[in-house]
Amino acid sequence: MMKCLLRKSVFFGSTLVALVFLCSGVTFSQGLDKEVSMEENIPTSEGLTVKYIATDLNGADRALGQADPYKLELQIQDLAFPNGGGSVQEVEVRGFHNGETIFFGIKWNDASKNDRAIAHAQFKDAVGLMFPLETVKEISPEKPFSPRMGDRGKPVNIWHWKADWEKELNVDGGKEHMEDEYPNMFTDFDFNPDPIHFHKETYESVPLMAGGISAGSLLSQANRGRSVEDLNAVGFGTLTSQEHQDVNGKGSWSNGKWDVVIYRPLETSDENDVKFVPGMSTFFNMAVWNGIEGDRNGQKSVSIRWRPLKIETVK
Amino acid sequence: MTLVHNWHLGRTMEYPYFESRPEHQFAAVFNINRCIACQTCTMAHKSTWTYSKGQEYMWWNNVETKPYGGYPQHWDHKILQLLWDNGNNPMEWYTSAKDKDETKAPYGLYNGDTIFELARTKGLNQVAVGYIPDDKEWRFPNIYEDTAASEKTNYETGPAAESSELPEHKRWFFYLQRICNHCTYPACLAACPRKAIYKRKEDGIVLIDQKRCRGYRKCVEQCPYKKSMYRGETRMSEKCIACYPRVEGKDPVTKGRRMEARCMAACVGKIRLNGLLTGDYRKPDPKNPMDWLIHIHKVALPLYPQFGTEPNIYYIPPRWAPRSYLRQMFGPGVDEALDKYASPSRTLLAVLQLFRTTQTMLSRFEIEDGEKIFESEVMGKKVEVYNDTVIGFASDGTEMVRVKVEEPTWESDEKRMITY
Repeated sequence: MMKCLLRKSVFFGSTLVALVFLCSGVTFSQGLDKEVSMEENIPTSEGLTVKYIATDLNGADRALGQADPYKLELQIQDLAFPNGGGSVQEVEVRGFHNGETIFFGIKWNDASKNDRAIAHAQFKDAVGLMFPLETVKEISPEKPFSPRMGDRGKPVNIWHWKADWEKELNVDGGKEHMEDEYPNMFTDFDFNPDPIHFHKETYESVPLMAGGISAGSLLSQANRGRSVEDLNAVGFGTLTSQEHQDVNGKGSWSNGKWDVVIYRPLETSDENDVKFVPGMSTFFNMAVWNGIEGDRNGQKSVSIRWRPLKIETVK
Repeated sequence: MTLVHNWHLGRTMEYPYFESRPEHQFAAVFNINRCIACQTCTMAHKSTWTYSKGQEYMWWNNVETKPYGGYPQHWDHKILQLLWDNGNNPMEWYTSAKDKDETKAPYGLYNGDTIFELARTKGLNQVAVGYIPDDKEWRFPNIYEDTAASEKTNYETGPAAESSELPEHKRWFFYLQRICNHCTYPACLAACPRKAIYKRKEDGIVLIDQKRCRGYRKCVEQCPYKKSMYRGETRMSEKCIACYPRVEGKDPVTKGRRMEARCMAACVGKIRLNGLLTGDYRKPDPKNPMDWLIHIHKVALPLYPQFGTEPNIYYIPPRWAPRSYLRQMFGPGVDEALDKYASPSRTLLAVLQLFRTTQTMLSRFEIEDGEKIFESEVMGKKVEVYNDTVIGFASDGTEMVRVKVEEPTWESDEKRMITY
């Protein structure tokens, strides 16, 4: 009897110790992401005002010149693993709308133009705008909204402009290929008047033998017709491209500076898109990727704190 | 990070996800001793999966000449150097009897850091130590083919015969056959920040979801075996898929039974046996040829177990290569494995006959005793050969193959010789 009791107590005792150990977070927590800080949920007091200017895309550059610039200080993304970025310190954004379309003009310094991602260690420049998907009136420590690409039940809408997509808008066939990065990929000394003829099968097999193309990924497709990807996320690692792409953009690089315009109709029929109504206010956040530094995914320069975004009424 | 058990290392180790072993694990045994580097496996792979644009440089299966060769060039030297960490991580093993355990620690206890642990210890910005090979490194898949290593020059070593005597040749090389290891703890899977890589519960095959992949190249960076590759044409990464339609039995040839991968089935040197391991490493099935070779007889060893990913392609090490080099490559199980291979047991001789006799994956074998046909002495050990019959069965119990240890020969009668 005593022996049985002793055995039982040893069994339950060890189970209890194991439970305490399990619940202590040593084994449960991934331990790589930083805890949410108070500051993350306190938006800055200053923000961007999207002016009403009655002009269209052709007049966008001039209109953006009239709009007030708003500068965001960027920092290394060190909240979520894998960390990185921080090479771009500042980004300047302006905004206006014409009652139908909203425009954001974005400028940042980048000494190198990286608009291709074909070789193994080649990464592109990019910029992202993030908005809470649903209308959010207040963000505070009491009413948190994660600036880390949203959270469960708190989705965000992300507009991601990519330098390589921008370039591909203007190339033949709407996409850059292996042979653009490696012109001599088939022959080092090209005596052949029609090298592609001898690699016909290689070329023709692409739609069949490319997982990315058959899976319908926008990254792999030609003729996307846009340089901005319309995405949603509910936290890090959940970024998902939308079925219905609505955001457009244009960008150019000169004298160590990217100048990008991103625009979209104020309202779309897609329920995964953020809705903008003149007179409303919401929040936004930004990130910049610097290709030469190997920036991609979480390796980016970010603004962290939410910035207020006011949209002027139509005058 | 969580704690998971890695039986190659004989201990628990850190990994970003919980231990979740598949019901069966895709695995293979490669007998290095038999390989002639004909590259038929390489071409079988190439003509099946990577003949398209952007895949020109991709060799999901490759055979390289060790010690100098490597695809991508110097992949293992570089990873070992990273793992060595200027001598702070000497990658030692404890191999005394008390450090070993029949199922949980068959090779002993690894006392160093794995690629995951070192990245954590050093506070690196990645889950596992690694690097992205540049274009040059991918360029020569068979560089240093047949280049032998020697401590001395040809002149110094004297006649070749003297420098090539077992147990260790002084001048040596061997072929290393490499595919994706479909690791139990894949570093590529751990590295992917958006969980685009998954390990299938039914057969342990590791795949990249081409819908989720966004071409971040974290898997390329952190797979220590460098078997995740970036395809510039589609802007995303691809890897060996273990010919999963064949493994699932979708190929009509095997009538719905599981079928060996293309590179395995194409092997003319009969060095490869492909099959499924029992998911629970603590309960190996002594009648499953894979389980028997790997878990029970321990004649086949993992490639660079110290990386900590628990790779699932196992190698019978080459008999002639320096033991220190082999121990670095296959862990401390090398001496035992080589002893067993040099003077093979009756069962081992029989199981070795199963290699490349059928395309169907064998999940059970039986041996019927035969008479003694040969006796010899190898390295001071008695070797007896019996003409046993080994029978291989598919998972549905169908007999797929029946072979004898002694290869049957047939002599044509004299009349026939005259006619010709």
